[in-house]
Amino acid sequence: MGSLVTIRGLHKAYPMGDETVHALDGVDLDFDRGEYIAILGPSGSGKSTLMHILGFMDQPTAGSIIFEGEEVSSLGADRRAWYRSNRVGFVFQSFNLLPRLTVLENVALPLLYREDSDRKANEAAAKHALERVGMSHRLEHRPTQLSGGERQRVAIARAIVGKPSIVFADEPTGNLDVKNVDRILDLLGSLLAEGITVIVVTHDLGVAARARRIISMRAGKVQEDRRQ
Amino acid sequence: MRIFVRLRPAVINGLRELQANKVRSLLSMSGIILGVASLVAMVTVVEGMMGNFKQFVDGMGGLEKITVERQSLPKDQEHLAALSESITLRDVDQIRATIPLISNISPEVSVGWEKIVYEGREAVTSILGCTPDYLPVARRWIDPGQGRFISDLDILYRTDVVVLGASIATDLFPPNVDPLGKVIRVKGKRFVVVGLLNKINGSNGMFSRWRNNGVFIPVTTATSKFTGNNHLTALGLRIADANDLQYAVDQVERSLLQMHHGLKDFSINTNEETLESFRKTQSAFKLSLGGVAAISLFIGGIGIMNVMLASINERIREIGVRKAVGARGSDLFLQFLAEAAVISVMGGVIGLSVSMGIVWLMNYILTQAIPSMALSTLDWKIMAQGLGFSVIVGLVAGVYPALRAAKLDPIEALRHE
Repeated sequence: MGSLVTIRGLHKAYPMGDETVHALDGVDLDFDRGEYIAILGPSGSGKSTLMHILGFMDQPTAGSIIFEGEEVSSLGADRRAWYRSNRVGFVFQSFNLLPRLTVLENVALPLLYREDSDRKANEAAAKHALERVGMSHRLEHRPTQLSGGERQRVAIARAIVGKPSIVFADEPTGNLDVKNVDRILDLLGSLLAEGITVIVVTHDLGVAARARRIISMRAGKVQEDRRQ
Repeated sequence: MRIFVRLRPAVINGLRELQANKVRSLLSMSGIILGVASLVAMVTVVEGMMGNFKQFVDGMGGLEKITVERQSLPKDQEHLAALSESITLRDVDQIRATIPLISNISPEVSVGWEKIVYEGREAVTSILGCTPDYLPVARRWIDPGQGRFISDLDILYRTDVVVLGASIATDLFPPNVDPLGKVIRVKGKRFVVVGLLNKINGSNGMFSRWRNNGVFIPVTTATSKFTGNNHLTALGLRIADANDLQYAVDQVERSLLQMHHGLKDFSINTNEETLESFRKTQSAFKLSLGGVAAISLFIGGIGIMNVMLASINERIREIGVRKAVGARGSDLFLQFLAEAAVISVMGGVIGLSVSMGIVWLMNYILTQAIPSMALSTLDWKIMAQGLGFSVIVGLVAGVYPALRAAKLDPIEALRHE
């Protein structure tokens, strides 16, 4: 497995009132392709900030990120949008499906913003992704007509529809009942076989235990990086 | 091509939002609807009025006609009233001889409204003494088979012949009687009907009825048999080219002043003055109605901006999701601009149909008040302009909300409850 991301000396500081908050305070990490990683930590530990920066939603204040061999720590907004639509996928705690769109349209959404967007091809890819998560029987439903577990499966389909290198899952089981937690975590785990790196951000030890590598964060620093 | 690919889903999305928020969207459209409807309807109706008026001016002899009428002397010349000879046939000869710009000159003597009789049937109409030049000056003619007009010989011999206006002929004669060659009594005197003037079928009913009225006798017969003096009531002058109007008016005035020893006992009128005053009314109408329409469109724009801002506030999370999955700022800008455009285009289309209703209603009311008045018809150019305005307003109003959506930070937007 080749190296996917190399992070060195990553800093992120926010001004908050008169003070400056150091959300990330010198983080060095390496991720390989096909790794299953859990980032664990209490709120305010910097785990969300790390996910946002690695997910091309935010820029670091200092430090370097080599993603697939390219320095990406100071990309412009449009270039970061390109990475979001082509290289990463997100799974959120509250699903974040668009209520007015059908299941199929929700899943096809990331492809809509690609340069080579084509309606027919997008639809085919979305159908394929929904098959992968076992939701191909609900293509024309609205998200509100689905159960929580089903919604999260649709969200996972949306995250993988663009064949990303990394899928970020931010507390993916936080809104699910016990029965569905396992199913979703199994589904996330099965993505590794396709060479996708899965990074689960959580404060739930049980969820983190599924990963092969657990990174604990505290006060903007990596406290522990343990492989199991 | 690329922009079209991006635009398609944006427009579809806009239509969906519209459908999802029908009442709100309709309310936000109301300004645009009102603006477009008033703009298109008012311009159309004013154009229609202008068309009616042009027809009226044409009926009056067009812009190439100059009318000289008798007038009492101005205050500073009042003490010379005894010297005033009024307008006479001498003036006609003088103008004909000295002003080449004037192509025809029609001396007219108004005998007044009098009773005419044919075998017990009566009609009251105006009696005008005139010469053969009346036809070209008034732009009238006699249709084939309808006899002849007054001739030079009639003028010379003061014959007792009469030409009837079309509506008088039908009033005075039973339908199965040919008026030509019949003898009628005009103010008690016997006249032979020699011709029928052409019938004017204007869409303006009252006006064409008035134009079809009247009877015409030789001007010399009128002065010798009825008025008893050589005073003319008016001169109708025609020029070849309307562009020469002002020169012709100046020359006629100078010539007449000379003939009348400097006494200003006449007035010179042209249809241009009437047309000009109507043009002023028209532009005043257009300005004030245009102002009303502009204000409505402006308010319509504010309405759209308002509803777009509200919509964006409700959909901050959606914006965050779209950005998280790869939408650029420009994608969201386009999406929300397209939504504003969809609202305004829909408003514009509804406004156009409302304007059709207004024009129909105005036509209905006007034709009730004035039967067979010329109808205003919708011009596709004006409609296209109305629609264009609404699109522009929508786009301008959409820019600021769309920019706000485009600039939202995805992380903040996703955290939004």
